[in-house]
Amino acid sequence: MVKVYSTPTCPYCVTLKKFLKEKGIDFADIDVSSDENELKEMIEKSGQMGVPVVDIDGEIVVGFNRDKIMELLNIKEQ
Amino acid sequence: MHDLIIIGAGPAGLSAAIYAIRKKLSVLVLSNGLSSQATNAHLVDNYLGLPEINGTELMEKFNSHARKLGAEIKKGWAVEKITVGDDSFKLLTDGGELEARALIIASGKKYRELDVPGAKDFERKGISYCATCDAPIFKDKVVAVVGGGDAGQDTAWQLTKYAKKIFLINKYPELRGQNKQMQENLKNNEKLEILNDCRITEVKGDVLLKSIKIKKGEEEEKEIEVQGLFVEIGSVPASYFSTGLLKLNDKEEIVVDKNNMTSQKGIFAAGDVTNIPYKQIIIAAGEGAKAALSVYEYLNNK
Repeated sequence: MVKVYSTPTCPYCVTLKKFLKEKGIDFADIDVSSDENELKEMIEKSGQMGVPVVDIDGEIVVGFNRDKIMELLNIKEQ
Repeated sequence: MHDLIIIGAGPAGLSAAIYAIRKKLSVLVLSNGLSSQATNAHLVDNYLGLPEINGTELMEKFNSHARKLGAEIKKGWAVEKITVGDDSFKLLTDGGELEARALIIASGKKYRELDVPGAKDFERKGISYCATCDAPIFKDKVVAVVGGGDAGQDTAWQLTKYAKKIFLINKYPELRGQNKQMQENLKNNEKLEILNDCRITEVKGDVLLKSIKIKKGEEEEKEIEVQGLFVEIGSVPASYFSTGLLKLNDKEEIVVDKNNMTSQKGIFAAGDVTNIPYKQIIIAAGEGAKAALSVYEYLNNK
């Protein structure tokens, strides 16, 4: 399961989500600015407060780390 | 050995890569893994042909264009040292040693980091360098902004939408910057307290940021509780590996001639890291193209 923790304004988050959609990846889109519990969960999982954070089957990626996300999701560059 | 190694994968570096590849040079682009400053731009509305685009998306377009033409971009390779050889340049990077016949330095600028005790420990744990990204996280919380210039004022203004209380820490007696209307708005906003003549002396917390110490002039230090601290204290050219090798100006920008050649023959530079005026994405891209064409000519005449 893929979970994206983000805020509505963060440019990296917008691009990251667009990237996942383009690659046909289903994900839960969590807005941490409107849900205190999800924000706490994100801080606990990632040990930090910055967005975006992606949880890919328990593997945590902080920031839009394209290469790491592609590797974890097994996406190949066309 | 490559014909050309480009240090930096922002607008200047990627534009240089595209031009160099089309000239059939063997090119390698190194990125230290940090994002280009352009990436952080909330909205770019002055790049020809691509109105109203966010910085991250624009950089993605640059990246995929360069990759499509076959650019090899190595991420997470920070350059530590450049050595000048007889007929080539050696680069010591944290990914290994590399060699090229010519170099383009397009490493841009990076934000100036807050340099006080504790600042490193709480980066991304309350301290943020990207208000556009992180401001909404601090809904109903108490935050501070350090830096009273245009960027700091803009950050404080963005935060008034979310935070319940904002301290704007300004080292000068009055707010500075171009936008007088913004300064009026900030002064009249009841959530906002402007602390003039103040600087941060320490940052404290446990897992996350809890408080900052500030000092006003010669007065006693004062501790204020904050959950967030946004840093907007300017930016510096990422030219550290050129010190002692290339001519820099008093702003530590690399000095280049009209063909983007630095004081060292064979090393070229382009974009925000250079002394070229106006730090703009389209200018950086143009300068990158010019540097690549100059490298082509330089290698042909060698």
